[in-house]
Amino acid sequence: MSNNISDKIKNIHRIFHPQSIAVLGANKVKGTVPADILVNILKAEFKGVVYPVNPKENHISSIKTYKYVIDIEDPVDLAVIVYPSSVMHMALEQCGQKGIKGAIIISAGFKEVGGQGIEREEQIKEIAKKYGISFIGPNCLGVINTDPSVKLDASFARKMPEEGNIAFISQSGALCTAVLDYAQAKHIGFSKFVSIGNKADISEIDLLYYLKDDPKTKVILLYLEEISEGHGLMKAARTVIEQTGKPILAIKSGRTSAGASAAASHTGSLAGSDEICDAAFKQAGIIRCDDIEEMFNKAIAFTYQPLPKSNRIAIVTNAGGPGVLTTDAAIKYGLELPKFNPETTSILKKSLPKTANINNPVDVIGDARADRYSVAVSSILKDANVDGVFVILTPQSMTEIENIATEISHLASQFDKPIYTSFMGEADVAAGIDILQRNKIPHYILPESMPISFATTYKFKKMLEDIREPADTFDDVKKEAAHLILNNAINEGKKYLPEEEAAKVLEAYNFPMLKSGLAKSEKEAIELSELLGYSVVMKIMSDDIVHKFDVGGVILDIKSKDQAALSYKKIIENVNRHKPDANIKGVFVRRMIPPGEEVILGLKRDLTFGPIIMFGLGGIFVEIYKDVSFRIAPLDKKSVDNLITETKASAILSGVRGRIPRDINSIKECIMRLSQLAVDCPQIKELDINPLIVLEDGSGSFVADTKIML
Amino acid sequence: MDNNEVQQRVKKVIAKVLKTKEENISDSANFIFDLGADSLQSVELVAAFEEEFQIEMEEDKALEIQSVADAAKFISQYLK
Repeated sequence: MSNNISDKIKNIHRIFHPQSIAVLGANKVKGTVPADILVNILKAEFKGVVYPVNPKENHISSIKTYKYVIDIEDPVDLAVIVYPSSVMHMALEQCGQKGIKGAIIISAGFKEVGGQGIEREEQIKEIAKKYGISFIGPNCLGVINTDPSVKLDASFARKMPEEGNIAFISQSGALCTAVLDYAQAKHIGFSKFVSIGNKADISEIDLLYYLKDDPKTKVILLYLEEISEGHGLMKAARTVIEQTGKPILAIKSGRTSAGASAAASHTGSLAGSDEICDAAFKQAGIIRCDDIEEMFNKAIAFTYQPLPKSNRIAIVTNAGGPGVLTTDAAIKYGLELPKFNPETTSILKKSLPKTANINNPVDVIGDARADRYSVAVSSILKDANVDGVFVILTPQSMTEIENIATEISHLASQFDKPIYTSFMGEADVAAGIDILQRNKIPHYILPESMPISFATTYKFKKMLEDIREPADTFDDVKKEAAHLILNNAINEGKKYLPEEEAAKVLEAYNFPMLKSGLAKSEKEAIELSELLGYSVVMKIMSDDIVHKFDVGGVILDIKSKDQAALSYKKIIENVNRHKPDANIKGVFVRRMIPPGEEVILGLKRDLTFGPIIMFGLGGIFVEIYKDVSFRIAPLDKKSVDNLITETKASAILSGVRGRIPRDINSIKECIMRLSQLAVDCPQIKELDINPLIVLEDGSGSFVADTKIML
Repeated sequence: MDNNEVQQRVKKVIAKVLKTKEENISDSANFIFDLGADSLQSVELVAAFEEEFQIEMEEDKALEIQSVADAAKFISQYLK
């Protein structure tokens, strides 16, 4: 590992832009990795010098071959190492002696095989650290840089991809080759292509920082199997997005892994690793995709076309059915189909047949040739009400598929508004699709994919406009008091806090608690009631009485001083009559919980991402409705808003269908206090506030019950 | 058989399998890194050692041997 991040970034630049490469362990056995790596470097027409290194060959592919890398007279920027893992330490040691700072370790046989492999990986990390070498791998496919001034294919992939603006970082080497094949068929080009393998040194986080300033990269794609530094990844992603506006799309495999089903709290049970990953990606602005097709559908929208100014789109189709399907999908994903300006409508009316639909979605009718598409698309693109166009084509006998594709490509280059296409079918439309793809017009097999991709780009654009402010922190909290309670409990070997102690922790963080007290006389009962504020409830406190209601030991809704005095007397009388032997500790006085909506706030500590905050619909059915959302603490204000708005509870709290609007600001304050508590008190493993009773707008909320696990 | 003799015969076997000259093989030479053995040749070396010394070695451990000196030491255990 190199000493600091700037050295590492410099070394990564050397890996992508070497002037000379040594291939350590290259050989002549065609069809093997050590041979194909060298062949690929040569085939790609690398713009620098290549030095094969092999102890028993004089030359490989007619190139002079060196016994050891230290025998090479000239400086070497990049070492590509294909020696078996058993001698990797010797190879890397010599790279260090040679002064090489960047390496790609292709070979397998390290951490992924366990046992001795783990030791070998640690050994090469130590050597790299000693010499300030940064390396990709081990156990990887290699690295590709399509930049024409470099032309580096240091991989054993079958082919070099086309030049483009997409950087692809993958933890799976095999997936890389499949992606290259997929992309080649669709003329999708790449700027950088990296298989990170075991990411023993250079990780996706380092590469994100590097790609942030890479002028050739507009969009970054990630395929991750495991995330080792959650916070680091989130910070790097946010830095890239905020500083450059480059979108990051990611597939994180393992969606179906079992959550923490044996957890003791609702939060623990609901916050599985996938939900946490989802929340972290959202918070960082990473667009999570389920599969390769979805990822590239969205990536081409970002890389080929400008970001939309609004969500107002128009559809131009020569077939009614697909037009309706696309309209439905557009509405579903939050897009609008606006009315056209009168000028646009007038042009469409004059240019299209009477049977055509000149309103949005526009139907140019099945027999449309290129001229109808051209006039419809161009006039709509000029319309200020529209900020994007979806063009749908189905192949009829007279449809000029290639001409229409050419015309759309031409129009796309003239307007700063996104155009997406869907030429439906396969064989007949293939030549048209090829024209679109070569001209970098996003094309989708299914027309419904257009609104999905458009909505993603629009949402991303909106997110870029969001101002990220840190959530409020509160000076009125008593961190030391909370620590004292938590540490004492841990020292006593407790796994969870008793209810009254959990309440004290929340009190220390100034959560709105339902205040209460014990009155031992009528006078104290009156004073307490006055202090707490009416209405209050009074309950007998005695270890000898289990069913308080049965002995007349509970009086609800006490609304005045006189009622308080009377109620105290009545409870004592009732108990003395029904249970004369009971040892009475006093009368418990608590403010009545006013009616309100029940929500849940939760906290869970995750090994990868740290403290997770949960919000959702509360009560006893939390795990049945699962109407919850998650974010990672410390929160920013936007995340606090999103925590609430992402749930269905949000509509209920806002006062949907005549319900009373609730005090959402008081929930936000509780969430921010919880975020502060989560960061301040790592002793808390899990926490539920369930329910938090939310009163009507302006009246606050109250913690009704708390559970804290240590 | 003394250790020196074992080493000389080990070198002879290596030279034959890896098609190199005996004088190029130092005692500390690594089969892969210094002599260019590939994984197939590593297996061939183990078989050739067994034939040369008329012994049967534990394969997993034998494949971990990487130098002349290590090979001689390992084989000597079977000759006692």
